Amino acid sequence: MASYYPEPTNIWESIEYSSLGTSIAESLWAFPTLETIHVIALVTVFGTILVMDLRLLGLAGNKWTVLQMSKDTLPWTWAGFVLAAITGTLLFTSKASTYMVNPYFLWKMGLLALAGLNMAYFHFVTYKTVTEWDSSPVMPGGAKFAATASLVLWLGVVFCGRAIGFTLGIYY
Amino acid sequence: MGDFFFGLTEWLRTTFLLDWAFWIETTGFNKLLVTNFWGVPIAQVLHIIGIGAAFAATLMLTLRINNMAGMSRSVPEVSARYMPWIWWGLLWIVGSGMLMLWAEPVRNMINGVFWVKMILLVVTVLITLAFQKSVQSAATVGGAGWNAGGGTKATAWLIVILWCLIMAHGRWIAYAPV
Repeated sequence: MASYYPEPTNIWESIEYSSLGTSIAESLWAFPTLETIHVIALVTVFGTILVMDLRLLGLAGNKWTVLQMSKDTLPWTWAGFVLAAITGTLLFTSKASTYMVNPYFLWKMGLLALAGLNMAYFHFVTYKTVTEWDSSPVMPGGAKFAATASLVLWLGVVFCGRAIGFTLGIYY
Repeated sequence: MGDFFFGLTEWLRTTFLLDWAFWIETTGFNKLLVTNFWGVPIAQVLHIIGIGAAFAATLMLTLRINNMAGMSRSVPEVSARYMPWIWWGLLWIVGSGMLMLWAEPVRNMINGVFWVKMILLVVTVLITLAFQKSVQSAATVGGAGWNAGGGTKATAWLIVILWCLIMAHGRWIAYAPV
């Protein structure tokens, strides 16, 4: 079948004009359906992170130890994140070159990376001494900082995610 | 399905809602929201944050009732932690939803998907109220070792599914022709 798309000039156009990218872009239902799953996944990620961060800040759920709260929420945070990443990647393929020139998309990716680094630092450094403050209602500064940074970064991710939808036609 | 929503939207166009939506568009608050580029996106972000808080609280309570998480605490303790977040979250969701409605009254009120979402929301609230009342009393009588029956466990998941359906309709409002 003849292709109605121009020859790609860079990697992002190659992704966008791939059969996967064009199938999603041309379908009436694929993009909204993927977006719907993306939204359900991201509210699960944000909501479960909020539960954990409020515990780390000593603001809610102080009857739980930090380890218990982490065990309760983390599998759902990860499940939501994997689902959001898969659906997000599929959404990206349909307009790859448009997203790559959108500053809010780039900011969103940057904030996601920072949220990942914050989480990694917390788990590999701050969390090492968790047994010392596990059941304490007063958390160490490192834990409070990680929770605050996490909330700010994820709010930024949500804001940029929404901003992308309102600025797609502006930059490209 | 598409025909159903199309027909519903066509009918909505014949009701008083159209004049009401046009009146909202003449208000100063509508002007404030639509003339500010970030008005609607910020209202949507607030909406998503509220959904995250309330949905995660619903999920954690559902997981506890199904013995899948939070087992270190009794059901009344888990309810006490998450129920205020469900209800205050819902209030927040309604408030931010009102901002979105006021900014784009025609897009929302003359839209079959929006009204199905509203019906689902009311049904979910009613089921949640009855469910929480019955769980609270059964768990209090049953004590720390109380274990929910099959119907209660299934109803908890039904509420999670209803939340997902509400979110799905929320997203599809944007794709329904008005």
